[in-house]
Amino acid sequence: MARYGMVIDLKRCYGCYACSMACKVANHTPPNVFWSRVLKGESGTFPNVVRQALPVLCFHCEDPGCVKVCPTKATYANDDGVVVIDKEVCVGCKYCMMGCPYGARYTVPEWKSYFPEGLPLSELEQFQKEAWEEKSGCGVATKCDFCTERREDGKEPSCVTACPADARIFGDLDNPDSEASQRIKRDRGFVLKPEQGTKPKVYYLPPR
Amino acid sequence: MIAAKERNGKEDVWIPTCCGQCYCMCGIRVRRQNGVVTEVEGNPEAPTGRGKICVKGLAGPQLLYDPYRVNYPLKRTNPKKGIGVDPKWERISWDEALDIIIKKLKKCQEVDPRGVYFQATTTQASEIRFGVIGFMKAFGTPNYWVSGGGLHCGNGAHFMNGIMHVSWSIIPDFAHCNLPLNFGCSKGHGAGHVAVQNATQAADARARGSRTITFDPFQSAQAAKAHEWQPIRVGTDGAMALGLVNSLLNEHGIWDDEYIKYKTNGPYLIRPSDGRYMRDKETNKPLVWDLVDGCQKIHSDPSVTRVEYEDEAHDVAIQGRYTVDGVECTPAFELLKEHVKKYTPQYVEEITWVPAASVSRIAKEIGQAAEIGATVTIQTEKGPKKIPKRPIAAHYFRGSQGHVNSGWTCLSIDMVNHIVGAADTWGGAMGLGATVCGGYEGTGKPYQIPYADDDGLLVAKAWVYDHLPYPMRVPKPPTRLDLHDMFPTSIYNAFTITSPRWFEMLDRFKIPYRPDIMINFGSNSVMTMGHAETVTENFLKKFNFIFSFQLYITEFEEAVADIVLPDTCYLERYTPAVSFPSTFSHPQGEDDWGWTIRQPVIEPLYERRDFNVVMLDICKRLGISDKYYKGLNDTIIMRYGGAMDDKYKLCEDGSREHEWPEVTDRLLKDRFGEEHGLDHVSEKAVFTWPKRKEDVYWKWFNPARVPLYFEYFIDSGEQIAKLCDEFDAKEFFDFDWSRFKALADWYPCPSHTEPDPEYDMYTFYWRAVMHCNSLTQQNPWLDECSQEDPYVYAIQMHADTAQKKGIKQGEKVWLENSHGHRVRGWVALTEGIEPRHLAVAAVAGHWGEYMPIAKGKGTFFNDLVEMDKEHTDPLTLNQDICCRVKIYKA
Ligand code: SF4
Ligand code: SF4
Ligand code: SF4
Ligand code: SF4
Repeated sequence: MARYGMVIDLKRCYGCYACSMACKVANHTPPNVFWSRVLKGESGTFPNVVRQALPVLCFHCEDPGCVKVCPTKATYANDDGVVVIDKEVCVGCKYCMMGCPYGARYTVPEWKSYFPEGLPLSELEQFQKEAWEEKSGCGVATKCDFCTERREDGKEPSCVTACPADARIFGDLDNPDSEASQRIKRDRGFVLKPEQGTKPKVYYLPPR
Repeated sequence: MIAAKERNGKEDVWIPTCCGQCYCMCGIRVRRQNGVVTEVEGNPEAPTGRGKICVKGLAGPQLLYDPYRVNYPLKRTNPKKGIGVDPKWERISWDEALDIIIKKLKKCQEVDPRGVYFQATTTQASEIRFGVIGFMKAFGTPNYWVSGGGLHCGNGAHFMNGIMHVSWSIIPDFAHCNLPLNFGCSKGHGAGHVAVQNATQAADARARGSRTITFDPFQSAQAAKAHEWQPIRVGTDGAMALGLVNSLLNEHGIWDDEYIKYKTNGPYLIRPSDGRYMRDKETNKPLVWDLVDGCQKIHSDPSVTRVEYEDEAHDVAIQGRYTVDGVECTPAFELLKEHVKKYTPQYVEEITWVPAASVSRIAKEIGQAAEIGATVTIQTEKGPKKIPKRPIAAHYFRGSQGHVNSGWTCLSIDMVNHIVGAADTWGGAMGLGATVCGGYEGTGKPYQIPYADDDGLLVAKAWVYDHLPYPMRVPKPPTRLDLHDMFPTSIYNAFTITSPRWFEMLDRFKIPYRPDIMINFGSNSVMTMGHAETVTENFLKKFNFIFSFQLYITEFEEAVADIVLPDTCYLERYTPAVSFPSTFSHPQGEDDWGWTIRQPVIEPLYERRDFNVVMLDICKRLGISDKYYKGLNDTIIMRYGGAMDDKYKLCEDGSREHEWPEVTDRLLKDRFGEEHGLDHVSEKAVFTWPKRKEDVYWKWFNPARVPLYFEYFIDSGEQIAKLCDEFDAKEFFDFDWSRFKALADWYPCPSHTEPDPEYDMYTFYWRAVMHCNSLTQQNPWLDECSQEDPYVYAIQMHADTAQKKGIKQGEKVWLENSHGHRVRGWVALTEGIEPRHLAVAAVAGHWGEYMPIAKGKGTFFNDLVEMDKEHTDPLTLNQDICCRVKIYKA
């Protein structure tokens, strides 16, 4: 069985937000929900200063804090290591949002349009609303699921396909020959906040 | 169109077409589920994008369905015009709208058709080449501009790149370049032409270990990704580049001898009396000095020319003095070498604020990285051929060139490449879009091989508009409303048409007609040009009637349009050619050629109608559709690589009409053969064929040289000055025509010479990856994304400067220039900016009522941009877009 993970090469990434948008469009997330997000930081003082983009998503941890604290077992890891949420079981207690050290989870009390209130929903927004409710839902925890539907269609996750810099590699970390495994080994892959002990399966390659 | 596929009993289909959120023309696949367009992906079949896509392209579906789109024709009922005036729109039918329009156009046609002025947006660059140009030719008006785009970025860059690379822009050959030098441009880092492909290539280059040096006043994406960031003073890139050229030539003694001798006019002998070429008496061709035979030769004499790298030729002089017909002449290169001596590292530091030691060190690094003398062997149609490997490339775009020193700055930066022979060869600075094309093997079209004129200089075979960047047009008494005919370097200009004395100028130049009707296609010139009130009052309000094809009611329609026509967006239309003219926006590199088309993924919603369909309809009603088709046939020659075969030509005798799918079909069949018409191409929305290596690295396969010495500028300047005198026009523009000269220099911008110390901050604008021109600001997904970024809606200010001025993070401020024009925004503190600069993103700060998502977000920088002659480059008429301001709390 595969054990899915992702590698984000920070040397290639130039902070363009295509991953954020690709995720939004493919997974129909409503306003303020970014399963795939690009954080921007700056370090140093002028002129020895550099800005860095850091794309983040759910890290599909091996020992996920979210799963541990979920009282209803709505959050669990699939056999392939993808951490998912059963929206029928989730009661919206938000414990998992506290349990996740990475802020990867989102919940919205109700679906909202991007446009000012009082307008009829566009066909697109109507579609988005239904698709969101069908896949994720309001009042429950939601997050990146490594694009379940796309994988079912034999495609890579949306953020991976879109990335103009080819900075994201999706693959099976159990397979030592997969590009993802190879790159983690070769290019000194690291995870964020390892001290949290959740063992993320999303690795970063150093920016320089 | 693609046959419907089903999923769970519902339609679910991916339709290939071409993105239109910006002018990069990426191939895309659009998902339609049960009749609703829901998703966009890159099209891996299309060389432009190769399956990758940017944030704007992904957000396309929102543009299609935005409830604020204009869906019905509208008529202004309030006769008053101006910013902030309520137009009192009334919905009308298409019939009524077209009746009004036709009546107005007919009247204008009778009086003087030149009263029609076409205004367009660069976002829809491919549509322009059909509906706009075809109509102009048919109707008989020369008056045209694309707002913002051209004047902020085009007059300098496209002109100079046209001369030096027969292309619109330049870009490093990322696949092999080891030292890209980025002069404040986002190419490879999100924006610019071919944005997606360039980003992929630039990332590959970083992964390969290439080293980037970026000159930019702030930590832009390109500065953040660079190995070395040089925070340069805005508008001084040209001085920096000339410093590098000087340091290379006079400090380190580095140049590519073979390149200078056989691929430039460096060896051309210049006579001292007037700086002109010494010419052969018989042939009138420029002369060079043959060091082997010890005599002069015409530049194209086979003994002194090398077309291919392995050709043999006599050595020619590029230094020294040589007597021809009793006149002691100097090779152009020697004059250049002498000329740049004043750009010492110390002098350059004073201008640019880049340390003198860095100037010298970077020049040395360039010299070493260029590997002068190194070669690689490539496989050409004629077998393996050796070509120079020169893996360095200096490149630039709007940032460096949007200044009163525009033309020479562009040339100076590119000169760095030409000094070390790193132009259009392996690893060097390449033309972008890819230009040189021997054509598809089945038809030989598009045929775009540049050639040498009698003076031996490079002439484009394919170009984006009718007049070529070289040979330069001869200045003529003007007939166009922006006096364009007398300014041979520019595409258009703003200082004439936005001047309060515009009509006086027209009188003085004896131009007998006045602006009457403006047709607008997608532009929001109230916001994209410069100070909004000036554009509106001095220019736009001079038109008696304005009708506009638009997606939204923008600030332009609100202020001045009489009729708004609901255009389709790119997802609802056919466009026969998108990635061509390749000069404009086709990826560089060894990947295939790709001719992309647009095809509708959905029938036009509501009462939207495609701009091109309507323009054709208008021509039919005016009885000029035959001329329109002829106009298109003529347009195709220059822009799409050769004339149409008679079989496919559009009918010019009025005996039949064509629809857009048919035009698309004909053009495709003519370029790629009978079997490759619309039916065939529509499956992938792109026709691809392999690029020949000699078309990628074309420099050493082409006989043409490029100028290092712009001899012909001297004539041009004198001709313009004479015309000005003839018409006694000095009081309107006493430009310094001496900038039309043979050798490059740097000139200060008004921002550098601002005398009042109160205006102590430099400000400029930059391009955020999620926006193109002004329309994307209304896309709610892109808006949300912009809010994710700490700077897109902010004014970036150095933390120390802010502290001194008592300004805090997030505080609202005014920026005000010495003309009393001011803009509002909020401050984001950062260390990532040169402390005397303020950076503002894109065309933001909309105020229009009909774009509520965009309204009030970000800062409307262009209101600080003055369009007078002081802010205009005399050489190219490019506008200056940097300014000095004071900042104070709002
Ligand atoms: S799409 Fe790629 S390059 Fe852009 S921000 Fe995401 S990971 Fe970085
Ligand atoms: S990143 Fe957070 S939400 Fe995702 S698996 Fe880890 S702990 Fe759970
Ligand atoms: S893998 Fe899919 S769900 Fe997860 S961040 Fe990427 S696009 Fe979003
Ligand atoms: S770069 Fe331009 S054409 Fe390409 S996907 Fe983005 S918006 Fe579309």
